[in-house]
Amino acid sequence: MPRFLVRTLLCALAASGLWAQQTEVVLTATSSTKLVLAMSTPKATGLDDANVAAEFTAVLKRDLDETGVMAVLQERLPADGAPTKAWKEAGAQWLLSTHLSKAVNGDLQLEASALDTAAEKGVFSRTYHANRIVPLRYLAHYLADDLVGRLTGEKGVASSRIVFVRQVSNGVKELFQVDRDGADLIQLTRHGSLTLSPTVAADGRLAYVTYKSGPPEIWGQRKKDGPHERLYPTSGAGGMLSSPVWSPDGKRLAFVQGDRRGNSDIMVLDLATGRARRLTDSNGINTEPTWNPNGNQLAFTSDREGGPQVFLMQDDGSNLRRLTGEGLYNASPTWSPNGAMVAYVSRFEGKFDLFVYKLGEGKAYQITTGVSTSESPAWSPDERHLVFTSNRFGSSQIFTTDLSGRQVVRLTELAGCQSPRWIRGR
Amino acid sequence: MRYGIYVVPAAIVLTLGSLACKPPKTAEQIKAETQAAFNEGYQAFKDGKARTTNPYVSDKENPLKMQGWYDGWDKAKADQEAADKAAADAKAAADAKAAADARAAADRAAAEEAARKAAQAQKETIQTAAARVLVNIHFDFDKAEIKENDRAILQGIADFMKAFPVAKVEIAGNCDERGTNEYNLALGNKRAAAALAYLKTLGVDEARFTTISYGKEKPLCTEATEACWSQNRRDEFKLK
Repeated sequence: MPRFLVRTLLCALAASGLWAQQTEVVLTATSSTKLVLAMSTPKATGLDDANVAAEFTAVLKRDLDETGVMAVLQERLPADGAPTKAWKEAGAQWLLSTHLSKAVNGDLQLEASALDTAAEKGVFSRTYHANRIVPLRYLAHYLADDLVGRLTGEKGVASSRIVFVRQVSNGVKELFQVDRDGADLIQLTRHGSLTLSPTVAADGRLAYVTYKSGPPEIWGQRKKDGPHERLYPTSGAGGMLSSPVWSPDGKRLAFVQGDRRGNSDIMVLDLATGRARRLTDSNGINTEPTWNPNGNQLAFTSDREGGPQVFLMQDDGSNLRRLTGEGLYNASPTWSPNGAMVAYVSRFEGKFDLFVYKLGEGKAYQITTGVSTSESPAWSPDERHLVFTSNRFGSSQIFTTDLSGRQVVRLTELAGCQSPRWIRGR
Repeated sequence: MRYGIYVVPAAIVLTLGSLACKPPKTAEQIKAETQAAFNEGYQAFKDGKARTTNPYVSDKENPLKMQGWYDGWDKAKADQEAADKAAADAKAAADAKAAADARAAADRAAAEEAARKAAQAQKETIQTAAARVLVNIHFDFDKAEIKENDRAILQGIADFMKAFPVAKVEIAGNCDERGTNEYNLALGNKRAAAALAYLKTLGVDEARFTTISYGKEKPLCTEATEACWSQNRRDEFKLK
């Protein structure tokens, strides 16, 4: 009898524990369970077009599906007026209600609230305002990001953008920007020459290399939303410049300078003083610097031990050590936003694949398999995806992948693209 | 004494003397001559041929005469004449100067034209020679060493640079697509540096070269074949 009672008590505790868990669902970044979310048809006031609400729903659905932490319920949806219980029985854990309205002067308003169907408690509520210049789909992006933020503790990236290089004509490449969902392509530079290697600071300032004056120069913005000016060299010739990267605090710019002996070195430019300091020691090719989130270390590519490999060093050039072990050609390192991983590419039989090195574990994982070449990786701000270029459909195009490598999606059909960088929209 | 010797010269003298002498005029003769002169003058006056100025007192005979000494002084006429004279002098001077300037300018223009033509001819010679010698050299995969077969090309370039001391050349390094964009910019730089170092050993001043790298950003072809890749792994030489 006592054993039976003990077992029952333990079961009851376990059950109550499980039941308590059901009332609030919070996922960590490593969890692969997706929250099932259902959307009731949006209420609309003052919208000109019935299609607008449908478009909004489509954009929001796509944003939520792409987050990787939510699944949008598509089938067996109850009717709109149905009680919460019906939604719960259909399989939805959260029920999202939205109300779109457009004022007389064209300003948009979105009221959104999400309800936990099991606990029948509200878990999210927010109102968004946008003036008439902002497209409606941005409201959907902001809402999706906030929902992910409520769920995981970190905001989503539906409103983020990709900055990249695209070939405009023979010998002319310019910088472009596109939304995460491939919409709203904007040209950022018009130098009429080779413009390469964009880097975007935390406050949105651009820097890049351009050949507009003949030899390469580093151009960019000194102030947020300011004009593009030459950042380096400040006067005279600068040698063979490439690979600029803003430090996390936006005050320093790491870059590469090649000399007439054939060596390339990592340099760091202090934007305030205009002085550049050499970090590596002129013994071969050192290139592709990337900062860690604290701004006190750099990963870079060097061929000092034979073929190109990924190395690490402090931001003053000390404590230089090798990161990558296997493979004859490892390059293009990029440090993850939270500092725990370094993504890079490894060449095998002439083609590249994406790899991720987990610094804590000391191990590298292959992400893409050699269907075609995958190059130039960059992290999403939420560390869940990588953007990269691939020529699997012919010309070099921009793709994203999750860290398992199973969800590879083409971001835009534009051809001749390279060097994508993923930046937060707001 | 025999005075007969004086007879003949005395006769000659007397004869010549009598020819020279004329008989004095009679009163009637003088009266007639005076009347004739008067009539001539009166007739001339009637014909309108009388002199308006006194022939005994003439400006032509007295260039030092001050204007206004005899006739009334005309200020306007005097100013006008002075101005005219000044203008005429100035014009003459200006004309002379303009002529001199024009001559100098013409000389300068001719000299410039000649220099320009000479420079143009020199440039064309250099360009023709350059087109012949500035050909691409190539590299092995992932390598930046000068190949044996390309030494002749670099020798040709060195000879060209020595033949034309004003010529300047840009060396551009390039790669095939099988590397990352940034690493290939560095590798292209290494390939340009290799050509520069070799040309220096051939005795050309390295200050006459600039180096640049385009990595894999400016391929000559885009096929994924060794035939295309080997074309792209190159240094290009451009006359500057």
